[in-house]
Amino acid sequence: MDMSQYRELFLSETREHISNLNKLVVILEQEPDNRETIDALFREAHSIKGMAATMGYDRTAQLSHHLEDLLDGFRSTGEVPVPAIDYLLAGIDLLDGLLDDLQSNRPERAIDVFLREPLPVASVGEGVALEQSLAAADENDEGTAKGPGLASAQPAPAAEINEPAPAEDTDFFQVLVDLAEDTPASAARCILILRELEKAGDLISSKPELATLRGGAPCTRLQVWLRTSLAKGHIKEALLRVSSVASVRFIDDRRKRSERRGSDEGARTVRVRTDLLDQFVNLTGELLTRRNMLNRATLTRDWNGLNQALVQTGRLIDDLHHHVLQARLMPLENIAGRLPRIVRDLSRKTGKKVTLRLLGTDVGIDRMILEELTDPLVHLVRNAVDHGIEHEGTVTVSARREKGLILIEVADDGKGMDSAHLRRKAVERGLMTPAHADTLSDRDALMLVCLPGFSTAAEITDTSGRGVGMDVVKAAVGNLSGTLEIISTPDRGTRFQMRLPLSIAIIRILLISCGGRTLAIPLSRVLRTLDLTTGEIDNSGKQSAFRLDEESIPLYPLAEALGLTAGTAGETTWVVLTEIKGRRIGLRVDRFIGQREAFVKALGFPLNLLTGLSGATIEGDGQVVFIVDPQALFENLQLSTKP
Amino acid sequence: MALRVMVVDDALFMRNMLKDIFVRAGYEVVAEAENGETALELYHKSQPDLVTMDIVMPRKSGIEALQEIMTDDPEACVVMVSALGQDSLVLEAVEAGAKDFIVKPFKEDKVLEIVRRITGQH
Repeated sequence: MDMSQYRELFLSETREHISNLNKLVVILEQEPDNRETIDALFREAHSIKGMAATMGYDRTAQLSHHLEDLLDGFRSTGEVPVPAIDYLLAGIDLLDGLLDDLQSNRPERAIDVFLREPLPVASVGEGVALEQSLAAADENDEGTAKGPGLASAQPAPAAEINEPAPAEDTDFFQVLVDLAEDTPASAARCILILRELEKAGDLISSKPELATLRGGAPCTRLQVWLRTSLAKGHIKEALLRVSSVASVRFIDDRRKRSERRGSDEGARTVRVRTDLLDQFVNLTGELLTRRNMLNRATLTRDWNGLNQALVQTGRLIDDLHHHVLQARLMPLENIAGRLPRIVRDLSRKTGKKVTLRLLGTDVGIDRMILEELTDPLVHLVRNAVDHGIEHEGTVTVSARREKGLILIEVADDGKGMDSAHLRRKAVERGLMTPAHADTLSDRDALMLVCLPGFSTAAEITDTSGRGVGMDVVKAAVGNLSGTLEIISTPDRGTRFQMRLPLSIAIIRILLISCGGRTLAIPLSRVLRTLDLTTGEIDNSGKQSAFRLDEESIPLYPLAEALGLTAGTAGETTWVVLTEIKGRRIGLRVDRFIGQREAFVKALGFPLNLLTGLSGATIEGDGQVVFIVDPQALFENLQLSTKP
Repeated sequence: MALRVMVVDDALFMRNMLKDIFVRAGYEVVAEAENGETALELYHKSQPDLVTMDIVMPRKSGIEALQEIMTDDPEACVVMVSALGQDSLVLEAVEAGAKDFIVKPFKEDKVLEIVRRITGQH
């Protein structure tokens, strides 16, 4: 039987089970004798085992079986020894890793080192009870080896693995080798590269495969999965010595989840309630009926009938659209499920006592938005634990619908943020002049934390991590056409509020005329619009500018940036105020046309290669209107930082 | 000790060019052959550290010579010299055990790069 058709479902379901396992273990840690939790954990592990075994994913099945056995033991004693919590969590992490392997079509990683680890036993007394219960459990289960002691009873399944354990420090990653243009005999060259890599370690697989290369298929990029104990620098050096090798890159096993999802289109599945599917069928039927009505009305020139059919069709389309969006919704729970574990690990590490409250995790959010939101949400929660809470407190993550938006809030009840301190810091970092900092409202001062370069290495703690800063969070929210707001009250705490659209396919746009064309800018990118008289614009310097709220704001002609010819300047200059990298800039356009909702279509090749265009929408008259992304268009500009 | 090289090519021009490159790099050219048959004979006689082998030659082709050398001496260091558009022959040679290949027209530094890489002389 071909099992591959069930792969996606297996992956998504197992991820859910893993998320549940994490959550349950954290609960268990707080209530070690909670019988229901132990039962629930056992069932989760049991489900994974069954599915993995059916799919033929041996190691995943073996590991979940191992965890299931362990949990079954706890079930009989009714209690979980303290060291077992970390052991369980390590096992869950390993399961998660195995799933990463399966999702990326890699061989499952080795698990025997984990299986060989001695099982955690709290005290001698408990250990004996546990051992007996495990032995009792084993009798009903042929799959587990029996043994006299606890430590020797469990590792036995490892013996089934006929593969040697990997060396302590082996690493597993992907090597990407690009060949120079016009490489002669590229297939032969790739074979030589594979040979070179074979010297470095175990070659797991390659793309193209060796057989394809032997067939002489030309190849300019070689992707190789390698397990090795050699340093990457060493491998890179060796490869670069091979003739025609243009570049060598390494892609780590631990890529960001969003990237992995992005690259693995096939893994995008969503579960849809069957009643929703029934609705689709009904609506499609209704639409067909309306089409017939339209046909008849057109033939008989029955204008009333035509009008009626059009109105009804419009209503049905709205209805259909609503339901399609529904089908894309996933509960916040899908990503919030990871948070209890993260907060638990953080509390331990920092020695703070932090309680996590999750509210409204059943609120549905567009799946695409949800995926992009994973990292920002985790970052905000880490931040709240790290910087918000001092010694003890509560972090609350909540979601709710607010008009046509979703509001997701991460709040702490710590000491709050000090806007005066933030102003001083921004000046110290050279991000703005003292005069400029003084003009900021308290609310804007809080947003300073979102400036790139605001946090410094000294503040990047192990917890909040490197790389992802508040600037990245803000950019991610902005990319989803959302907004980020920070509200802080001294001694009451700080709230980070993300407001996101229900769907990213439909956004509000500002229609403008520019260089003789109609263009659109997402409203989420527009701070405000202005009409300036000639006298208000300062053209004395190299860079045109105007003053707003005591700040000098550079003015750029949008047409020029897009390679269009700007219209002739009249009495009034129309300006769109936007923000690039935390700096406000003005974009000169010919005139404003209006605002409306637009269905955004992605640009196809080669239009998608153009910088600054994020998509297009189609006007009622069939005209294609490009949507300009000022961020992408201007982010490489050297923006003047002096007011 | 200087690297000992054997140059195999039916064209005197190519042999001389390669010889000059190797001599300038401080290597010792211990033998040269104008076809595969002579190449085999001289290989056994002079036991070079490295062979550059033209692919298309009269009497015995470079690939046949390579295969026989590899059978006798699996550790042999043979670099094929091919013309553009001989991809399938190059592939065949690599499969037969050639350590690398040079495509004509070549540049001196590229040739030396390849030789240094496969002989481990940096």
